This record gives sequence, C-alpha cells and structure tokens, in this order.
Amino acid sequence: MIALWYFLISFMLITYGVLDGRNFGVGLLHGFVAKTPQERRQVVAAIGPLWTWHEVWLVGFGGTVFAVFPELLATAFAGYYLALFLILWCLILRGISLELGGHLDDPMWQGFWDFVLVASSGLLSILFGAAAGNLVRGVPINAEGDFSMAFFTDFHIRGNVGILDWYTISIALFATVMLAAHGANYLVLKTEGPVQMRSARLARLLWILAIPLFVIISAEGWYVRPSLLDIALHRPLCWLGIAVILGSIWILFQGLWSANEKKAFWGGNFLIVGLMATGAAAFFPVLLYSTLGEANSLTAGAASAGHGSLMMALIWWPFGLALSVVYFIFISRRYAGKVSIPKSH
Amino acid sequence: MGLAWFLVYWKWKALRSGDEQYNEAARFWAKIFGLNFALGVVTGIPMEFQFGTNWSDFSSYAGGVIGQPLGMEGMFSFFLESAFIGAFIWGEKRFSPRIHFLTACAVALGSWISGYFILVTNAFMQHPVGYAVSAGGTLVIADIPQFLLNPWVFAQFAHNQAAAVVTGSFVIAALGAFYTLRGVHVKQAKLYLQAGILAGLFAAVLTAFPTGDQQAKMVGNHQPVTLAAMEGRFESGPMAGVALIGQPNIREKRLDNPIEIPGALSFLAYGTFQGYVHGLNDYPEDLWPDNIELLYYSFHLMITLGTLFILLMSYANLQYFFGRLQTDKVLLWLLMLSFPFPYIANTLGWMTAELGRQPWLIYHLFRTTEGYSKVVSNGDAIFTLIGFACLYFVLGVLFLVLVGREISHGPRAVQPHIPQPGNRP
Repeated sequence: MIALWYFLISFMLITYGVLDGRNFGVGLLHGFVAKTPQERRQVVAAIGPLWTWHEVWLVGFGGTVFAVFPELLATAFAGYYLALFLILWCLILRGISLELGGHLDDPMWQGFWDFVLVASSGLLSILFGAAAGNLVRGVPINAEGDFSMAFFTDFHIRGNVGILDWYTISIALFATVMLAAHGANYLVLKTEGPVQMRSARLARLLWILAIPLFVIISAEGWYVRPSLLDIALHRPLCWLGIAVILGSIWILFQGLWSANEKKAFWGGNFLIVGLMATGAAAFFPVLLYSTLGEANSLTAGAASAGHGSLMMALIWWPFGLALSVVYFIFISRRYAGKVSIPKSH
Repeated sequence: MGLAWFLVYWKWKALRSGDEQYNEAARFWAKIFGLNFALGVVTGIPMEFQFGTNWSDFSSYAGGVIGQPLGMEGMFSFFLESAFIGAFIWGEKRFSPRIHFLTACAVALGSWISGYFILVTNAFMQHPVGYAVSAGGTLVIADIPQFLLNPWVFAQFAHNQAAAVVTGSFVIAALGAFYTLRGVHVKQAKLYLQAGILAGLFAAVLTAFPTGDQQAKMVGNHQPVTLAAMEGRFESGPMAGVALIGQPNIREKRLDNPIEIPGALSFLAYGTFQGYVHGLNDYPEDLWPDNIELLYYSFHLMITLGTLFILLMSYANLQYFFGRLQTDKVLLWLLMLSFPFPYIANTLGWMTAELGRQPWLIYHLFRTTEGYSKVVSNGDAIFTLIGFACLYFVLGVLFLVLVGREISHGPRAVQPHIPQPGNRP
C-alpha cells in the first residue's frame, strides 16, 4: 500500500515536472526567441490556457501528500521554508504575468509582465533544480526528525548543509538548461515563423550543452551519495529508468537532426520522465535522506497516514485523476495546432 | 461561490427564453468570475502549503485526518473547477446552449464541493468527531461517514454558502445601481438589479435564520465558553441578555455600559428564556479565548451588518414591488455603496469562528501553541509575512484595476433580435 502511494505521488510530481517544466522553459526563452511585441504575444499564446491545468498537478501533489504522507509535508515544507516561499511567490508572479499580461493592449504594461515572466520562470527552474539536488544529497534531519535549512552554509555537501552548495547549484544549472531546451522543443512544435526558427537553433544548442552537463552531474551524484548508485544497480526498475533515459536521448537527437519536431519533443518529455523516475525508483523507501546520519532519514512507512487514511484516499483519488484526464483531452483538442503571430488590433 | 449561481441562473433564463440579454449578462459576469478565479488559484496554493510550512506540528498530529478533505479538495475539486471553468469560458461557441448551461452548473457545483471539503476540515477543528488516537499519539480517521457528516459542518456550510450568495448579490446589485445612476447599459443594469436584490434578500434572511441561528446553537452546546466570550458575559444564569451596545472589560470582568435585550441570549442559544447560560467566570482563564475584545466586536459587528443587509434588501424589494426600483435615487446610491460590507461581514464571521475557537487548534484536543512549526525561526516567519503582505497588496490593487476596467467597458450592447412570440414580456 505504501509502495503504491509512493508510486502515485511520484507519478504526480513527475507529471508536474514534465508539464510545468516546459512552461518554465518557454517563459525563460521568451526573453531570447521573441524580438517584437507580436512575437512575445505568440510565445505567451503557445503556453496558452494550459498552464493552470499544469499547475493543478502541483496542487494535487500537495494535497495527496498531505492525505497520505502528512509527516513528509510537515517535515519537508517547514525545513525548506524560505525556498518554498520563494517558489510560491514566483509561481504567483508567473501565473499573474500569464493571465494579466495580455489584459491591456499597452507596450509598457506588456513589457513589464514579459519581464516578470522571464525572471520568475528562470528562478523557478533554478529553485526546482536545486530542490531535486537536495533530494539526492539529503537534508540535515536531526534525531528528532526535524530540519531547518538556510539558503547556504559553507557550500559543502556533508553535515550541516544549506539549500545551495556546489552540488545543488550544478543540478540547478543542469535543470535550467534542460528545461530551457525542453521549452524550445515545445516552441518549435507549437509556433511558426521566426520564433520557430530561433527556437530550433536554440533547442539544438541547449540539448548539446545538456548532455555533458548530464554526465558531470551523474558523476557528482555518485560522489555525493554513493549508496544511491549501489541501490540503483540492484533494482530492475532503475535499469528500466536508465533504458528510458538512453532511448529518449537517442530519439531526441534523431528528432533534432532530422527536424522532426514531434519526435524531438517526445524524446525530451521522456528524457525528463526517465530522469525523475529513475531517481524516484532509487530513493524508495527513503523520502528524505539525512546528511546527519542515515538513521535519521524519513522513510515512506514512517511518514504515512495509517492504513485507514491510505485506503480512503484510494477511493477518491482516481476520480480526481479521471476528471483531469477528461479535461486534458478536451483542452488539447481545442488547443491543437500551431500558434501564429497574432494580428495587431 | 455566490457569483457562480448567477451564471447558472442567467444561462438558464437564456436557454428558456432565447433572450440574448441573459447570455450577455452571463458572459460579462464570467469575466469578473474569471478574474476572481485566477486570483483565487494563485493565492490558494500558499494556503495549502502553509499547513506544512507554518503549521508542521499540527500537520504531523492531525494530518491523518484533515489531510483527507484537503487532499480531496486539492485533487478533486481543483481539477473539477479548473476543468469546467475552462470549458465554460472557452466553450460557448463550441457547445450547444444546453451543454454550455451544464458547464455553468458544473462550475457552481465544483466550487461548492470545494467549499464543503474546506469546511469539513474547519468543522473537525471546531468539533472533532470520527477520529481515533494512534499508537504514536497522532490522529487517524476511525469513522469516515461520521467525519464527513459532522453535524457542525452542516450548520457552518449552510451559513457560509448563504453568506457567499449575499456577497455575490450585493456586488451584482451594486453594479446594476451604478449603471442605472449613470444611465448606461440600462437593460443589463435592470437584470443585475432585479437578480441582485431578490437573491440578496433571500440569502440575507437565510444567513441569519435558520443557518446563523443553528450555528449559534452549535457554539452554545459545544463551546459554551466561546458563546460567553462572544457576548462578553462573565456572570452565569438564566434570562441571559444580548447586548446591543457595551464594551467588554476583561480586567474588571464585566461588560461596560450595557444596553441589553433581556433573555434574548438564553432564548437564541437554548430555545427558552430560562436557558442557563454559562458565563466566563464558570471556566478557568486558560480556557478563555485569547482575544475576547476582538471576538466580541467581530461577532457583534457581523450581526449588525447582517441585520442591515436584511433591512436594505427588504426595502429594495418593496420598491421593486411598487415599480420604483429604477427611480429611487437614494436607494440606488445605498445599493451601490453597500457592496464592500458583505466582504467585511464574511471576514468578521470567520474571525468569530477562529478567535472563538482559541486557545485551541482542535477543540479540547490540541492547543494552538502546540501546532506551529518549531523549526521555523521568528525572523523567517516575519520575513515571509511581510513578503506576502506586499505581494497580496499588489495583487489586490491589480484586481481592483482590472475589475474596474471591465466595469468601465461594461457588457456589450446586445443586437435587438426578433423575439419569439410569447417568450418575452
């Protein structure tokens, strides 16, 4: 039961990462691929009404974690306090800039919100990247099962760590590059004209940059938490994850070089799914790894809400998922096809 | 939550009569609704996260119980609402009018189900039922139906939703009054005024009776110390009065300068003038709500405003009955200026509920001082509080500007069409 719920919340987080990660990338690139106000509107229109549906996955993830692993919510959210609030503020600003930026047909108004969109999307990529790095490296959970983390301490990866150190910064960098590349893939798929050309060029550049970074962070991960590699080598699920990663890299580059935008886009999607899923499969049953001694780590069993609550959640959860899928089919049909440069009116 | 049913009503009228005016009313208010919803989404997410960030000890203790309704809210209602709002706003041209009407119903239902799950959580905090204490000392769910059908939640949900409709009605009536006074969008303004005052009277009465009355009886039966503090009563006894005016004086343990209706509190809380009402003196001071003065004024101001709402809406309906609604300038000015007060009354109601529950997070189970995140420093908490205050201030200003813009544009003029015989007055 606990493993099932671990799988389900991982599924929600991965879905969120793939979907909203793309918006972060698009938001960030928005500052680089669009030169005229019309092109900027075009990029925003490519994100379109989909972002709320994407962000709802984060809400669903938070709610589900609260229902089935309340101790994880309590420990992690209080521990990551400042970083989490930065994320929330950026999410608010990102949402507002997407929703309200187009409300007035005025260059100053739109220019301001375009800037807010680029800044908040960039910061979100960095923060979520650093959060992923923190999951691998671990957090300073003490014997009472609590932790409180400053933004940075001495930038070392052992003992009393901060949110940012050399390892998590490098992951944040990798995440930002990868999400930007992911966003570029989407823009190639969704737009036409000069924005598409610039995005295609950037997509190739960014993905080529991402691969050596990926090799570097993998090596770093092995050094930062050696036990993880050990576990990964003994779990067939992790082999599957690694196979997905390698396969999707191959598809991705095939797509990029044969200018097959759909192939490239799906390769990128599955690459992110593979990365996150391999991590999730290797972490289990540890939810939060302690850098102050492995005995302090928070496991899924210790964090769970008890059998009754898990059973109850199993009843209502599928309804939420089903609704979401139905809506997705509706909105993606409505929103299919390319976004051209809006006519100025 | 209040506005949603007006969309349903207008879509229904449009469906029945084929009159484009109703469709335009729904279209115009859907824009306002959309702005409310966007602000609601971005400000709602921090509230969910706050259970972990600022109330982690509370979440550790009670997460096994309250995580369920909040999880359902996050997963089920959030998906439902965002899905159907998308379908409602984007779907008018794609769907048949009948289906489009159904999406409006789904939006309203979704938002009310959402509200229900939130209130199940709050009702559990006010009146915990259906739980058990696990071996580790934390709470788990023992009886799911009992937990979801907590008697407290019915009174609270009915009261809260009626108050939401009051808010929606006042806003709609206020805009109708504004357009009428200006002499613009006259036909639309008439629709807004009529719908606003009718629903407003109905909901304002319901908010007081029976829902507010039931809520007060709940408090009287399950939280007698809270009732005493809400009324500023220190002495116990039958024939307890309701103070119309008076200032609680905690140090001297009395209500200063009271003007009371004798016996009214006994009657309201227990149905008989001989009902024995416990005063605060019956309870040790560490069970008293922390801020009795604020609680007292919140409750009394809420009641005062609620009474004024009923009076204003009764008068408006009377004038409507005599056909003077569009011409009574004083009334139109009053309706126009009254729209902020339901927001204030709602806030005061929540202050009464939450201040009244103090010093408990979960009544008689878990104190507020036990529940906050011990690992978060004061400095961090104040830093983020200031951050939110600034950000929400900016959001509030933006919201007002954008709603003001929609109002100044107004609904579009509806092309006159050939009415089908017998369908229009």
